[in-house]
Amino acid sequence: MKLTRREILGSAGALLIAPDIAFHAHAAEPQKGGTMVMGSTQVPRHLNPAVQSGIATAVPGTQIFASPLRYDADWKPHPYLAESWKIADDGLSCMLNLVKNAKFHDGKPVTSADVKFSIETIKAHHPFKTMFEPVTSVDTPDEYTAIIHLAHPHPALLLCMSGALCPIIPKHIFGDGQDIMNHPANTHPIGSGPFKLQEFKAGEQITLVKNPDFFIKGRPYLDKIVIRIVPDLSSVVLATENAQVDFLPFLAESQFIKRLEKAEGLGVTDKGYAAVGPINWLAFNCGKPPLDDKAVRQAIGYAVDRDFITKALLRGTAREQRSPIIESSPFFDAKIPPYDLDLNKANAMLDQAGHKKGADGMRFKLTVDYIPGGGEEQQGIAQYLKSQLKKIGIDIAVRASPDFPTWAKRISNYDFDLTMDEVYNWGDPVIGVHRTYLSSNIRKGVIWSNTQQYRNPKVDDLLNKAAVEMDAAKRKAFYDQFQMIVGDDLPIKWLNALPYHTAYDKRLGNIPESIWGSMQSMDEVYWKEKRS
Amino acid sequence: MSMADATANSHAVEGARPLRDALIAYRRNKPALLGMLLLSAIIAFVIYGTFFFKGDPYEIVWAPQTPPGTDAAVPLGTDYLGRDIMRGLLKGGGPTLAVGAAAAIITLVIGISLGGIAGFFGGWIDDLLMRVTEFFQVLPALLFAMVVITLFSPSTLTTAIAIGVVLWPQTARLTRAEFLKIRELEYVTAARSIGARNGRIMWKVILPNALPPLVVSATLTVGVAILFQAGLSFLGLDDPNTMSWGLMIGTNRQYILDAWWPVTFPGIAIFLTVFAVSLVGDGLNDAFNPKLRGR
Amino acid sequence: MGSTAYIARRLLYGVILLVGVLVLNFFLIHAAPGDPAQTIAGAMGGATAKMLAEIRTSYGLDKPLLTQLAIYLAHVAHGDLGTSYYFNQPVIGLIAARVGPTVLLVLAAQVFAITVGVAMGVFAARKPSGPLSAFIAVLSTIGYAAPVFWTGIMLIILFASIWPIFPVDGMTSARFAGGYFAYIGDVLYHLVLPAFTLAIIFLAQYSRLSRASMIDVLGADYVRTARAKGVSETKVVFKHALRNAVLPIITVAGIQFGNLISGALLVESVFNWPGMGRLAFDSVLRRDYPTLLGILFFAALMVIIANLLTDLSYRFADPRIRTGGR
Repeated sequence: MKLTRREILGSAGALLIAPDIAFHAHAAEPQKGGTMVMGSTQVPRHLNPAVQSGIATAVPGTQIFASPLRYDADWKPHPYLAESWKIADDGLSCMLNLVKNAKFHDGKPVTSADVKFSIETIKAHHPFKTMFEPVTSVDTPDEYTAIIHLAHPHPALLLCMSGALCPIIPKHIFGDGQDIMNHPANTHPIGSGPFKLQEFKAGEQITLVKNPDFFIKGRPYLDKIVIRIVPDLSSVVLATENAQVDFLPFLAESQFIKRLEKAEGLGVTDKGYAAVGPINWLAFNCGKPPLDDKAVRQAIGYAVDRDFITKALLRGTAREQRSPIIESSPFFDAKIPPYDLDLNKANAMLDQAGHKKGADGMRFKLTVDYIPGGGEEQQGIAQYLKSQLKKIGIDIAVRASPDFPTWAKRISNYDFDLTMDEVYNWGDPVIGVHRTYLSSNIRKGVIWSNTQQYRNPKVDDLLNKAAVEMDAAKRKAFYDQFQMIVGDDLPIKWLNALPYHTAYDKRLGNIPESIWGSMQSMDEVYWKEKRS
Repeated sequence: MSMADATANSHAVEGARPLRDALIAYRRNKPALLGMLLLSAIIAFVIYGTFFFKGDPYEIVWAPQTPPGTDAAVPLGTDYLGRDIMRGLLKGGGPTLAVGAAAAIITLVIGISLGGIAGFFGGWIDDLLMRVTEFFQVLPALLFAMVVITLFSPSTLTTAIAIGVVLWPQTARLTRAEFLKIRELEYVTAARSIGARNGRIMWKVILPNALPPLVVSATLTVGVAILFQAGLSFLGLDDPNTMSWGLMIGTNRQYILDAWWPVTFPGIAIFLTVFAVSLVGDGLNDAFNPKLRGR
Repeated sequence: MGSTAYIARRLLYGVILLVGVLVLNFFLIHAAPGDPAQTIAGAMGGATAKMLAEIRTSYGLDKPLLTQLAIYLAHVAHGDLGTSYYFNQPVIGLIAARVGPTVLLVLAAQVFAITVGVAMGVFAARKPSGPLSAFIAVLSTIGYAAPVFWTGIMLIILFASIWPIFPVDGMTSARFAGGYFAYIGDVLYHLVLPAFTLAIIFLAQYSRLSRASMIDVLGADYVRTARAKGVSETKVVFKHALRNAVLPIITVAGIQFGNLISGALLVESVFNWPGMGRLAFDSVLRRDYPTLLGILFFAALMVIIANLLTDLSYRFADPRIRTGGR
């Protein structure tokens, strides 16, 4: 999708007023009231997204906390806690003008001091280091103005101030000197979002109730959101069919998607996941022979059939993905070599690389790991690799880990050959893409860093340049080059985008379909008809 | 048939028949024969699967979730990844039974040793060992096994040891009761009077006579150990790289709404095995204790 | 000996056992491979280097082993069973929220199993070779031999897809909004399937035991005397025989409490019942060792209490013991 320079920079140099412009134009005023029950299989540790990444915290967190901006389905930023903003012409500062009537759930007003505190906290503690790394200081000339100073231009800044990435947390609560990572308020958070926390039953249920003093008048429409945690996916799907659950996001298993599509009274959409950019891929340990040889990686790349995976294994519910940048992003470059299935070429390349076939038809052995509990995306594909790579003479042993910590430990300590993995883009490449390919991010023991041990100084250079380039066209050029290089080096073979879908009761209106989906405030969701 | 039953029965032993008569009695007991037959069939099936059958149960062979009876190539259908259920049964039986048997052996070794020592020596040794036994009985078995396995990382060996470590108290109690009873009997006193050492008395004199209820108990322990192993692999606490019946149930549990067979067949396999084992155990019990037959 | 002295002695013994469990926990933490601080923090979640250092100081991990044990016991004496670093909450709080549902499940299952089991046994005892007896023999083996989690899943398939009259997930409806009595009703409605699944294993055993016991008792002298005196059959069974027949069942039920908890663990996982068992299972997945060990402690506590209660009720029920014949 092509975006103009103006759109990408979020109307830099122009002011936007009127904070209650709605994302969706709707003819009649929506009905108020009702409870929406949301299903989830993930267990959040706590509810403060300022210090914790991940969907499980983001969904409830964005109902409780508000952020400066919100995004719509077309990657356009809209006012939220910031009624207007201006990025300086030199790109080294951004001024936010806050709404004057926003209050935290305990009645205290939301001021620029809270914004300053929040950004500093996120910068210091959030796992995504690149979000606010360029921020040098935040000035607060008055109560409702914050000026963010940057060490260099930061094109991703506006996106970093939306959704779950920048919850504005109250300084008067979190700034009391206690260690914020373990702060008791993390499980009893006070935010300024459309919903307040009523109850947090760890591992079971999160009950959110309407914030009657929400700064956008007339919202939220719903009285209550209950997030019901059910670890077993089939149980939560069943509950959705039986109208025990009204809204089920992040559903990726193909057979359940198909099943719910057939259910009466339920709608199923794949919208709302454009920013998450979830990519399912096969990663190579580039530090371990024979995978340190580019030719071997490319050969495997030619042997893995994306078409079969998406159409047969995943029953057509997932889209192919052949780049580190999610194909729905404006930065995706379609010219990246796809490595379509070519077994002859793969065999030839391996022969040429010096790995001859032995008497049993095998050249060498490799293990493939996968994320436990990852279902068909992970285990299914790992098993498929075993039979598929046999055809080019590689003897694959599938190695299952008993639980996530064991898998994470193996991968982050480079104790693997091949592994399946699922990593998210998180909107702007700076946030979720750079971490996988920068050689400076090879950090042993940290999962989802550059665990492939991939090193290419040209790639480092391009990524670092793209991180500070405000001109959209130039930035895209950098990312295009980046994609062509990694497309050749192939530290990873990208397979498919996780087919996240949302199943919802058809009687619900204004289902979140922005780029952040349910990881953004759901103050506009309403019941078209009263439920019994 | 519970441990309580076994204990109660052994106390009622008065003139338990020696082995040969017991076998004759056993053969006349229909359910016990059925059990023997069934167990043999299962063992044959598992031996075939483990040593002779060449297929890989992890291999994707057919369309996912094919119902049973659709095609002769996959008679019992396939699971959510397209793996053959029949292969899973063939290859999964070995680990299930092996871990069950290994765990039962560990249980018996620990239980018989500790129980025998307690029963034979009596006094403070008995008291001490009984306190230890009671202590272990206070820990719910599955939970304790889970804790141990989690701390030491799941593998086939860890699982077998963990199960063995939690199940021994009942065997110990039974052994102790037997030893207590038998050591007062004439032939033991006789052995002592000719100067036989303690170890020899325990091993060569008492143990063989304590054998009948212990054999029964051993059989039942195998059944319990198999159920245990199934439960642990269902919970994902066993080696995920080794196919077992419990593992099949655990991994396919998510898909039961659309496919009941990947969960049902392994469950039936476990059930039949434990059923057969318990019939055999019952049969042995009845055979050794003629007074209780006809109940 | 008098009842009070007996209770006091048993309580003391129970406390000793609990301390034993704590010592066991301590040794497990240290025997496990890896850094004990990491074990105490749990392998997944928010333990930063700073936190690990704090754990090391607070638990004295660089001191000699026995000192560490003393420190650990002191922590527990102050009610500190450790912190779940996954949720950043004290373990004791997490478990306290889950004890109720597990106790409810276990008691419901036990009551159901005993009541129905005894009833079935009584009726079968009247006709020892009748069809009901045979049915009990079959049922007892099925209940014993089928893995409990499998039975639960079969029931879910039955009641979720085929005949949806009972809920198969959780303890309450997510959408629940009602008064106190409605809440109790909701919980009971959700309790049916899990409690039934758990009860089946023991139902089999109790009915078989009850039948055998009843047959024995019905053949006893005092029963024959009662019959000879012309007491009606119903009265014979229910007034005279039943009371004594029930005693072995109570004994066995008490012994089985540990197994009940183990079974509850599996049943809770299958039915998403929010009890200690499911928390244990989830903690395993998260490598949340403090919570797991805390649950082990609590479970042992429950078993000890159950044993004590069983012993007391046994003494109460058996007139021979109560009159101080011992």
